[in-house]
Amino acid sequence: MKEFIKQARYRLMIFLAVFGPATITAVSDDDGAGVATYSLAGAKFGYSILFILFVVTFLLAITQEMGVRIALVTRKGLGDLIRERYGIILSVVVFFILFIANLGTIVSNFAALKATFQMFGLPVAPFLFLSVAFSIIIVSKGNYEVNQKIFLLAVVLYFSYVISAFKAKPDWSLAFKSLVVPTGIKLSKEFIFASIAVLGTTITPWGQFFVHSFVLDKKLSVDKLKFTQFETYFGALFTDFFSFFMIVATASTLFVHNIPLTSGEQAALAIKPFAGELAGFLFGFGIINAALMGIIIISLTTAYAFAEFFGYEGSLDAPFQKGRLFYGIFIFQVVAAALIVLLPFVSLFKIVFITQAMNGFLLPLIFFFLLKITNNKDLMGQHVNSKIYNYFAIISSVIIIISSLFVLISSFL
Amino acid sequence: MLYFSEIKGRKVYSEDGIEIGFLDDLIFLAIEKPKITKIIFLDKNKKKYTVSIDYVNKINGSVIISKNYLVTELQDNELSVLKNLLDKQIIDIGGNKIVRVNDVAFQKEGEGWYIYGVDVGFLGITRWFGLENTLIKLFRVANVNLTPRFLSWADIQPLELARGKVKLKKEEDKLERLRPEDLADHLEQTNLVSARRILRLLDDKFAAEVISNLNINYQSDIFRHFRPEKAAQLIDLIDIDEAVDIILSLSKKRREDILNLLPETKRKSVLHLIGLSKTTIGGLLTTEFITVSSNCTVAEAIGKIKKETEDFYFLNYVYVVNNDNQLVGVFNLHKLLLQNLDVPVYKFMTQNVIIIHLTTPGEIAIKKMLKYKIQALPVINEQKNMIGIVNVDDLTKYILKKFS
Repeated sequence: MKEFIKQARYRLMIFLAVFGPATITAVSDDDGAGVATYSLAGAKFGYSILFILFVVTFLLAITQEMGVRIALVTRKGLGDLIRERYGIILSVVVFFILFIANLGTIVSNFAALKATFQMFGLPVAPFLFLSVAFSIIIVSKGNYEVNQKIFLLAVVLYFSYVISAFKAKPDWSLAFKSLVVPTGIKLSKEFIFASIAVLGTTITPWGQFFVHSFVLDKKLSVDKLKFTQFETYFGALFTDFFSFFMIVATASTLFVHNIPLTSGEQAALAIKPFAGELAGFLFGFGIINAALMGIIIISLTTAYAFAEFFGYEGSLDAPFQKGRLFYGIFIFQVVAAALIVLLPFVSLFKIVFITQAMNGFLLPLIFFFLLKITNNKDLMGQHVNSKIYNYFAIISSVIIIISSLFVLISSFL
Repeated sequence: MLYFSEIKGRKVYSEDGIEIGFLDDLIFLAIEKPKITKIIFLDKNKKKYTVSIDYVNKINGSVIISKNYLVTELQDNELSVLKNLLDKQIIDIGGNKIVRVNDVAFQKEGEGWYIYGVDVGFLGITRWFGLENTLIKLFRVANVNLTPRFLSWADIQPLELARGKVKLKKEEDKLERLRPEDLADHLEQTNLVSARRILRLLDDKFAAEVISNLNINYQSDIFRHFRPEKAAQLIDLIDIDEAVDIILSLSKKRREDILNLLPETKRKSVLHLIGLSKTTIGGLLTTEFITVSSNCTVAEAIGKIKKETEDFYFLNYVYVVNNDNQLVGVFNLHKLLLQNLDVPVYKFMTQNVIIIHLTTPGEIAIKKMLKYKIQALPVINEQKNMIGIVNVDDLTKYILKKFS
C-alpha cells in the first residue's frame, strides 16, 4: 500500500511538471468568440445543444493528441514540418491564410472585450489600450514559465462560469441527460449551423498550431509522452466542462424564458433578472478573461507559426533581441486588431464571415497534414497511429473536414 | 548564376527535342566546393530517373540531355538539394535558429556546375512565386532597394549537411559575407549578365568594394547597365581614382548623367581629375615589356628574357598572359630568381595586377605607383590585352614638367 502511494505521488509529480500546454490550448479554444457562440447556442437551443458538445470533446481530444504526439516525437512544430515536407509555396499560402484567419479571430475577441467593457460602463478606448499593453508586456517580458502561470491563472478564472451556472438554478438532471443522450434535438437548418459553429469555435487551425508550438517551447522530452497525452485528454474534458456551464447558464435562463439574444456578450446582462447580479457580473468577467486569453494565445500562434515556417528564433524564452521577428509579429497582430475594432466603419460581421471561410479552408489541409505525419513511420517511429486509433483519427478528421467545407461552401452561397 | 527555383519543374528534353520529363532535384557532393554531380527528373508517371550531369548538355530555361543517357544510383557522399538543403533550418554555431534556406544558387565554372550559396532573404521566397522582379521594381518606385540576404557556401559546414543540419561556421552576429576580392575574382569568371545580377543583390557599400576589384571591362559594362542613380551611388562609394577611371571609360552622355547625380563636392573633385586626363598616358607609353604565358616554366621565362630583352632600357617586371593574350599576372625579377627552374610561373605570379588605361590621368598613375610601390604600370585595352607600360621615371619627368 505504501509502495502504491509512493508510486502515485511520483506520477503526480511528473504529471504536474508536464502539465500546462495542452490544457491551456484546449481551454483557450473557449476564447471570447467561443463564449459568445456557446451563449447564443444555449439561449437558442437550450440543453439540446449539449450533446454536440459531448461529441466535440472527443474530437478535440483526438486532434490535439495528434498534435502533441507529433511535437514531442519529431521535436518540430507544425509549421516546421509543413515547410520541410511540402515546400515553400504551400508554406507561404498556409501561413498567409492562417495570418488572416487569426487576425480575424483576434479582432472578434477584441470586439467581445469592447462589448463587455461597454456593458460594464467602462471607457472603451483606455481599457482596450490597457489590454493591449498588458498582452504585450507579459509576452515580451515574461519567459515561458511566467506566461504559462498567467495562462493557468486565466484557466482557473473560467470557474466564474460554473458559479454563474449554479446561480441560474438549472435543471441539472435534464442537463446531464442531454449531454450524453440526444434529448429534445429538433433538427433544423439553424441547429446544424449552431452545431457547426460550436465545433468550429472549439477545433480551430490556430488551436492545432498552438498546441504543437507550445508543447515544443516547454522543451519536454519524449519519455513524458504518456503524461502529456493524458493531459491532452484532461484538457479537452476540462474545456468542455467550462463550455457545459456556459451553455447551462444561458439555457436555464434565456432559453427557458424564451428570450432571444442578438449577440453572445449580451448574455451577461440578459441572465441578470433570472440568475442574479453576481451571475451576470461573473459571466461578463468571464468574457473579459476569455477574450484576453484568446487575444494573447492566438497572436502567439501566428508568431510561433511565422518563426517555424521561415526559420526564425521563436520562443518565449528567447530574449527580445534574438526573437525580434517573433515578438514583432505578436505585437503587430495585437495592435492591428485593437485598431480595427476601434474603427467605426469596420463591419464585424464581415470579418467573422471571412475568418470562418479561411478557417474552413485551412482545417481540411491541417488534418491532411496531421494524418499524413502521424502515419509516417520515418518521422514517428514507434509512435505512429495504431490501426484502431487511426480509424478514430480519420473519422474525426472527416467530420471536421465535412463541417468546415460546409461552412466554406455556405459562406459563398 | 542560376537559382534552383528557376529550374525546378522545368521540362527535360533529349537532344533531339523529345520531351522526357521534368527536373525534380539536383545532386551534389557535400565538400568544400560543392559540385553538381547528378540530376533527378520525373517522367509523366512520376517515376524517378537519376542521371549523371555528364549527360546534361544544357541547364537553363529547359534541360537538355544526351540521347544515350544512363540511369545511375546515388553515392554515399552525395546529397540532394531538395532533401538536404532547400527549406532546411539554418542554425549558427551557437545553435541559434537564423532562417531557412529559401533558394539555392548555382554557378557554372569551367565545365562544371557548383552550388554558389543559399538565398536566405525575403526575395528568395518571392522568386518561387515569380514575383521577385515585380517586387524589386515596385519597391524601387518607393526608392527602396531590396537587397536579399545571401549566404556563401564557404560559411556552411558541409559535414553537418549529411547529418540533416544546415549549420554555419560562425555565430550569427559574426557572420561576414564573402570577401570583396574573392567575389570579384569569382564574378570575372562568370558572364556579365550574372555578374550584374549578383552585384544588384549586394548592398551598395559592399558592391562598391567588389566593383573596385573588378577589371575595367566589367566595370564599364556594369556602369553602362545600372540606372544612373544606382551608378552614381556606387561611384560615390568607390575610391576616387578608381571612379575617375571608370567614368572615363563610359560614353559622354552616360558620363554626364552619372556626374549630375553625384553630390556636389564629389562631382567637383571628379571633374578636376577628368580635366587632367586630357593629357593622357598615351604619350608616356613604352612598348618595352615582355610577356610569358602562364604555364611556361622559370627556365623558359629566363630563356625568353635573354633572347628578347637584350636592348631593353628598363626591365623590372615580367607580365603573364593567358591564351587569349589577356593580362593575368605579374612577377618581378627578384621573385623569378628565387624559384626552381622547373616551376611554372602561375605558381608564384601575383594575380592581382595593378593596371591603368590609356585614359588614366598621369596623376592617378603616379599615385598608384606610390601606393603599391611599383616602378612600372601595365596599360591595357578593353580586351584586357597589354598595349604597353608606363615607367616611373617617364611619369615623374612629365609631372615635373607640368609643375615647373
